Amino acid sequence: MVLEIIAPDKNVYSGTVNYIELPGINGLFGVLKDHAPLISALGKGSILITEEGGKELSFDIKGGVVEISNNKAVILAD
Amino acid sequence: MANLKEIRSRITSVSSTKQITSAMKMVSAAKLKRAQDAITQLRPYSEKLTEIIQNISANVELEDNIYAKPSLGKNILIVSISSNRGLCGGFNSQLLKVVDSFVKEKDQPSVNVTVLSAGKKSYDFFKKTEYNIKGNVLPKNANHIVNGTSFEENADIADQIIDAFLKNEFDEIYISYNKFKNAAVQIPTIEKLLPVELGEENINETKGNTQQELDYIFEPSKEDILNHLIPLALRTQFYKAFIDSNAAEHGSRMTAMHKATDNASELIKDLKLTYNKARQAAITNEILEIVAGAEALNG
Repeated sequence: MVLEIIAPDKNVYSGTVNYIELPGINGLFGVLKDHAPLISALGKGSILITEEGGKELSFDIKGGVVEISNNKAVILAD
Repeated sequence: MANLKEIRSRITSVSSTKQITSAMKMVSAAKLKRAQDAITQLRPYSEKLTEIIQNISANVELEDNIYAKPSLGKNILIVSISSNRGLCGGFNSQLLKVVDSFVKEKDQPSVNVTVLSAGKKSYDFFKKTEYNIKGNVLPKNANHIVNGTSFEENADIADQIIDAFLKNEFDEIYISYNKFKNAAVQIPTIEKLLPVELGEENINETKGNTQQELDYIFEPSKEDILNHLIPLALRTQFYKAFIDSNAAEHGSRMTAMHKATDNASELIKDLKLTYNKARQAAITNEILEIVAGAEALNG
């Protein structure tokens, strides 16, 4: 699944990942491949991703929104 | 004809001015490049955000949204973004002219018009008028966020403004800035920030050109997401106005300094010509005197 994390002043991340854990405003949730189309608001917390090679990365955000469709996730983060 | 020494010192002074203006031009060119990069950086973010918002708002009634409450038109706030420094051609004056006439147009007995200045030039212009910001809801001015600041600092002010709107301190909020077109052209623009208007045409447009007919899951509800996203969009719009104005300022200064450098070169050329003419005249005079003297002796 392709992931892009975009902040207003820079592109934070773009790459292929296996798993994303997101801080939704109603609690943490994880996203795997072939997830149904989703738009969700994000709260304060950290995004945890597992890249294809198994490497794990995390990003702290203050809030934002995520859109998932056709195995493409776009996170707009503050 | 002015004497030689006088012309020489004028040439020196004009050359040093030229050096300064051409250095300022270089600096502005470099800063302009950076400011343009910031605009390019923001584009993917703002486009995606607009897309999502339009996607959602296409199926949501906006009328009861707190950000879209109909305006009473009684308390109007205008955020006027100018520059902190001068020497940038008509950049500030053309904007302030537009803002001033906008303020005058809105200013009726029943309407309170307030101007929040971002940038020293705008602050200086409005601080003596009755329109300048009063009260303690918002800072007196926002000069510190004018020149290429981070999104966070900018969002801070934006949040305060949105807060003031939600507390009904203001019914309508406009933002005025110089839109960056290219290095030579800036367009003074006034945009409405709040209440939010999502034009019909925009919605139709997105429907037409995207594949977004997907059945999205919304988490939490659409309305909640919208309430979460609108401040984000406003902050982005606010930030965009600032970086646009920043790029426009540097573009304007670059053009102004370029012209100044050209003028200085022209002036130096003229002065050199005058200088050489004066020098030649002096020599001719001297020779004439010597020849006349020799002639007198021979006579």
